[in-house]
Amino acid sequence: MRTTLPTTAKEAVSIEIGGMAITLRTQNPSFRRLIENRYAGFLGTSPSSRFEFDIDLYEPSESAPADDGLEVKIEEGEWLLQRGDFHARWNPDAGHGQIRQACSPYAIDAVLRIVHSLILATQGGFLVHAASAIRGGKAFLFSGVSGAGKTTISRLAPPDATLLTDEISYVRREGNRYMACGTPFAGELARVGENQSAPLSALFLLEKGLQNRIEPIAPTEAIQRLLRNVLFFADDPELVKLVFQSACEFASLVPIQRLVFVPDQRVWDIIR
Amino acid sequence: MADKYIARSTAIAARMLGGEMMVMSAADSTFFTLNEVASAIWQAADGRTPLSEIVAGKICQEFDVDPEHAQRGAERFIDELSQHGILLVSDEPLVESSPTLVSR
Repeated sequence: MRTTLPTTAKEAVSIEIGGMAITLRTQNPSFRRLIENRYAGFLGTSPSSRFEFDIDLYEPSESAPADDGLEVKIEEGEWLLQRGDFHARWNPDAGHGQIRQACSPYAIDAVLRIVHSLILATQGGFLVHAASAIRGGKAFLFSGVSGAGKTTISRLAPPDATLLTDEISYVRREGNRYMACGTPFAGELARVGENQSAPLSALFLLEKGLQNRIEPIAPTEAIQRLLRNVLFFADDPELVKLVFQSACEFASLVPIQRLVFVPDQRVWDIIR
Repeated sequence: MADKYIARSTAIAARMLGGEMMVMSAADSTFFTLNEVASAIWQAADGRTPLSEIVAGKICQEFDVDPEHAQRGAERFIDELSQHGILLVSDEPLVESSPTLVSR
């Protein structure tokens, strides 16, 4: 049986990503500080929000490895999220959930990603494996699998570009446009993105090459490649359909192109 | 040889784009892009029309292919999609067919 760490009165921390605040309540002051440090720049000001989670901690030694199979499924209107290092339940209608997890930032990071992906799926948006940045008031996404160049393109960003993330981009639908929003979900740069947003101007599928160029891509290939990079965890056919439809809608409103690039700063000359 | 009846699974999402049908399985997220001929078979898969009739009445006439060649191609196509649960295949008419078709 798992033992719970010593606690005091529950304290709330609100984390606001993509304009969506999620309140986390923990009785452990050191874990609260850990959350505040990790999500600095994304802390909300309101003590309550539409979605709230109570967090109970157990000793790290009692948890299974984080790479133990992730499972996300819905049971009688309540989402069940579990992995080796966390077990969470969330009722989206009630706006409330519970998380039992190790005192580790990775578990809460994973829960937040999953919850945001579920919320976004019902709103026409998504989380996607992509770096993103704002330049000249417009946002650009740079998507690709590991090794495609997300970190490289982020590292090469000029001073007038605001980096939203080097790893996981937050795409929110607003009427007939999409907004790219900063996230605290960092990749190899280990640098939290800026908490800003801007209308999305283009999505580039990254490919390293011998010269910098932007190439058109067939719509069906664009959608297929976008779907490959969308983060989606739930074992739920209805949500899979929603994500598919969101990708199709996205591709009809935002140019998706291939960006072949040489890894030096001149690539940013053609990103406008 | 008994005729086959084909119906689109309800556990899919599909969308026509630029003359090609994109189909994704909601069960395993397998993604297919169907060419014009495959799209025509897909759209005719109502569970009630025999495959031979789809091939003879639609594919051969619309795409100018010989019946034998078209029948073999259609059977390969439905075999592959049925393995992913995207198409339902039966020796008897299938009555249920209501996929999520998203039009543009």
